Amino acid sequence: MSLVLKGVMQSPVTPLHEDFSPDFENFEKLIDFHVRTGATAISWPHHKAESHNFTMPQRRALAEVAIKAVNKRVPISIHVSALAVEDSFDLAKHAQQAGADAIIAITPYFWKYSAESIYNYFVNLGTSVDLPLIVYNSPSYLDGVEFTGELTARLLERLPNLIGMKEASFNSEKFFEILKAAKPIRPDFSMIAGVEYLLPSISLGGAGSYSSAGAICPNLCVQLYEACIHNEWDKARALQYKLAQLWLLFRDQYPSSLKGGMVIMGRPVGPTSAPLPTASPERIKFIEKNLIELGIVDTEPHGW
Amino acid sequence: MKTFNFGLVHSLVTPFKDGKIDYDTLGHLIEFHIQQQADGLAIPSHTGESVSITGIERKEIFKFAVKTANGRVPIIANVSEAGTDLACDLARSAMAAGASALYACVPYYWTPPESMLLEHFTKIGQAGQLPFFVYNSPEEMSGVKVSSKLTLNLIKDLPEFAGIIDLSLDWQYMIEVISEAKRMQPNFQLISGTEYMISARAIGATGLLSSVSNVAPQMIRHLYDLCLKENYQVAYELQVDAAFLYRLFNQYGISGLKAISQSLGRDVGNPRMPLDQLQADQIETLKQEWRSCLSIKNEPHAWST
Repeated sequence: MSLVLKGVMQSPVTPLHEDFSPDFENFEKLIDFHVRTGATAISWPHHKAESHNFTMPQRRALAEVAIKAVNKRVPISIHVSALAVEDSFDLAKHAQQAGADAIIAITPYFWKYSAESIYNYFVNLGTSVDLPLIVYNSPSYLDGVEFTGELTARLLERLPNLIGMKEASFNSEKFFEILKAAKPIRPDFSMIAGVEYLLPSISLGGAGSYSSAGAICPNLCVQLYEACIHNEWDKARALQYKLAQLWLLFRDQYPSSLKGGMVIMGRPVGPTSAPLPTASPERIKFIEKNLIELGIVDTEPHGW
Repeated sequence: MKTFNFGLVHSLVTPFKDGKIDYDTLGHLIEFHIQQQADGLAIPSHTGESVSITGIERKEIFKFAVKTANGRVPIIANVSEAGTDLACDLARSAMAAGASALYACVPYYWTPPESMLLEHFTKIGQAGQLPFFVYNSPEEMSGVKVSSKLTLNLIKDLPEFAGIIDLSLDWQYMIEVISEAKRMQPNFQLISGTEYMISARAIGATGLLSSVSNVAPQMIRHLYDLCLKENYQVAYELQVDAAFLYRLFNQYGISGLKAISQSLGRDVGNPRMPLDQLQADQIETLKQEWRSCLSIKNEPHAWST
């Protein structure tokens, strides 16, 4: 059960055919690309993988492909959050049967929850499988529903398999509140920033991050992490500021712009499913201009 | 415009006695914080109840603070106001009094659009003719932010503009604003307006406006120095306690800061209306929580070390 996560972990997008059906062949290629270019773990499907827009059979089929494609080279976690909690439990069981190394789940969607109901949900989910559990905090997308230090501590006392948190408030106070509540109980607990904001997360004692831009610029992600853990902070700042420009570019119409950027990098993965827009040819041109200006096209791998 | 390096600035409470500003005690307080190695003093900040102090009193305080500090540390004057002309008037007074730098938050109450914010800040900066920092605290200001676009426009339009004091704690905001601003103006300064100094410094902040230093000046100095050296692993334990105190005084407010100051032998009176005084039982609970924080054991009592 012991699994310690650190570094820049990649959560791949989901390649689609023109009819919006999953493109299994390119999905395998993308996962292989991430593993070869320095991902310390794989996690799928985060929201940027359009998790909400797939049927449960599609999610199970894709999860199986992902686990096979990783082929035990790095740990892989399956994101099991679904609108209906019953689906989340099924996806969790399936992830275990399919050979995932961990599951990850956000606080439940849509309704307003008390700390007690969030606690109960994660206890039920975490005890339903024999796998490490990563929890996911994203208050700005869930109208303020969130973890506190106290709730995290209670869950750690109850769930020996709770190993980390994807933390996407991007707020020093929230991130540190949870980290300092968790560390005394579980020193190996991994606080993982939602995207590659490594300057604040690593300096505060975090383990690393998931990634927004890893399918575009894996070298930059790896260099930033290395600079942070080797205390090369001036270098780290220069790299982080560059990544911030990329995040501004991709955050607009995320993940459509990201898929648009992948076209430029020679790794096309098809359209984005409704209601998300697909990057227009003009948008792709604009992204291309930015990627060239930032030197990404010249310093990052092209093609698969 | 000459560069003004912000450094570790203490954001002082304002002592009151019988509802009036207690200048004797303010004099002691300024001496005390100079002894405690503040790089500068912010007067009167929100912690100093600036919004409860009249315009005339604020001008008196500027003069008094500059005279008392007598060049040993710079005085940074808070000239925040709801009205642009009122803020400009304060800025001119602060400059005439001999303040070294100014700062202002977005106008109180109005929640203006960005074009008006640009005009507001530009006019204040031009009136003051001193290095001018803009204070971003969306939670206190009905969600009004000093966006990175506004920041870039200030760099373009206002030579006095020196940087942003950030209280948002928002990584996305801080990284965006500093990376964009430094590309345009390498001298741009990001100042942390909270004691979350590790993450702020890692992001690139080079100064701290600290309220907790009213009661824990040694601990904050130590944390700040470790962060400037980017010695984050060693700073971790102090950061844990600084985060604890930041939250504690957010909860108990200025009345709480003043109660702890009094318990340390520095009686700075009670806050002015309309702020509430704490009840005796609340003060007891606060003191217990304060004493549970290990890093404050060696903090100085009374007025001198």
